[in-house]
Amino acid sequence: MNAAPPIDSMVSAGDARKITIAQVLVYELRVRDAMSKPPITALPGDSLREIQKLMKRHKISGVPIQLGTKLLGIVTIEDIITALDQGHIDDLAEKRMAQGVITIRDHFSLVRAVAEFERHGFGRFPVVDSADRLVGVLTRGDITNCLMHQLEKRAEEAIAFEAAALASRAGDDLARRIVIRAPVRTGDYDSAGKVSQRLRQVLRERGIDPDVRRRAAIVAYEAETNIIIHSLGGEITVAVDSDKVVIDATDVGPGIEDVNQAMQEGWSTAGRLPRELGFGAGMGLPNMKKCSDVFEIKSGNGQTTLVHSEVFLRKAAGTL
Amino acid sequence: MKLETNAQLPAVLLAIQATPLTNTSEANIQGCYISDLLSDVLAHAQPGMLWATVQVHRNVVSVAATKDIPAVIFTCGRKPEASVIAEAEEEGITLLVTPLTTYEAAGKLWQAGLHE
Repeated sequence: MNAAPPIDSMVSAGDARKITIAQVLVYELRVRDAMSKPPITALPGDSLREIQKLMKRHKISGVPIQLGTKLLGIVTIEDIITALDQGHIDDLAEKRMAQGVITIRDHFSLVRAVAEFERHGFGRFPVVDSADRLVGVLTRGDITNCLMHQLEKRAEEAIAFEAAALASRAGDDLARRIVIRAPVRTGDYDSAGKVSQRLRQVLRERGIDPDVRRRAAIVAYEAETNIIIHSLGGEITVAVDSDKVVIDATDVGPGIEDVNQAMQEGWSTAGRLPRELGFGAGMGLPNMKKCSDVFEIKSGNGQTTLVHSEVFLRKAAGTL
Repeated sequence: MKLETNAQLPAVLLAIQATPLTNTSEANIQGCYISDLLSDVLAHAQPGMLWATVQVHRNVVSVAATKDIPAVIFTCGRKPEASVIAEAEEEGITLLVTPLTTYEAAGKLWQAGLHE
């Protein structure tokens, strides 16, 4: 479920925006996105010489020592150098490994991982999941590589998007103001709120009023969950104008049979799973409308659904 | 009500036997909203409220963050996964758990003066 990172297109990207993208990535990316996996491990009964060969073969600088699913310690390249220097390279790992190893969780953000590196001064961390299973190893180099890779990818996407946007809507500068363009996958309940979270961040960076921020975030959140619960997948774009935030949600179907019915509070077609997770209150569309200054919805049985919302930066719509 | 989970819990939360799950520093709480429906919370809760729910899915954190809700209390002793707690910490949202049912917790919170 390690989702492909959503596409962000900072179309009118000046230098200041590029720094922001890097900063955003550090918060958005998780340890599991950057770590080396699966972890290369050794047994407590392996000799340091065997571990040295393992390091050489895999070009790594640290090897967690594991028995079954239990993490016992770690042998690092520094331990190997010391062993060569002092002549105990044939000792077993269990005798020379560092014990009481400090691990890092796979769901931590990279910014938190960087803080952990600073705090402990280690060169690497074994990475464990929420069930304490060893799932990878993270070095500072892994973080740098992951960030560079993502930045490159987003830069390419931004360029491609800009070219396409300019070609298709020459003269329309809406495309230039798009700050988020993200795919939303059907059934991906764990990702609900990702677009909304990014939107809040973008609006905060621009110093936009908390009430406007909250209303726009609610529209985005409900749009996301609607696509996840009801559609076969779709996309959300957000543009920030000098006087409004524009949120457009589109999906590939199957469409809303009766839009008027769907706009009634409490009416929902959500199934059992989404309801158990607290979705499907039948309030999504009404909430979006209440939070918007302009709200339009176009749909029909077997068609795509288009939801267009505008939240004005100055005049307040609802009181949410 | 000032909530400092690292220090002593305010009397209002002691009344419902609340235990903090996060290491969030502090939060100012005014009033409380109770619902297990996420959209309902988005529509009717006010920023700054304590939110009581039995939902422990990660979307609770997303909704709380979207709505500027500083603290969530899980009732009936329900605890979220470690990843949800970590996410709340990153968002600066305090998570608490109480063994009481939502009804009992609501009654005691009201009695202890959270509505004022």
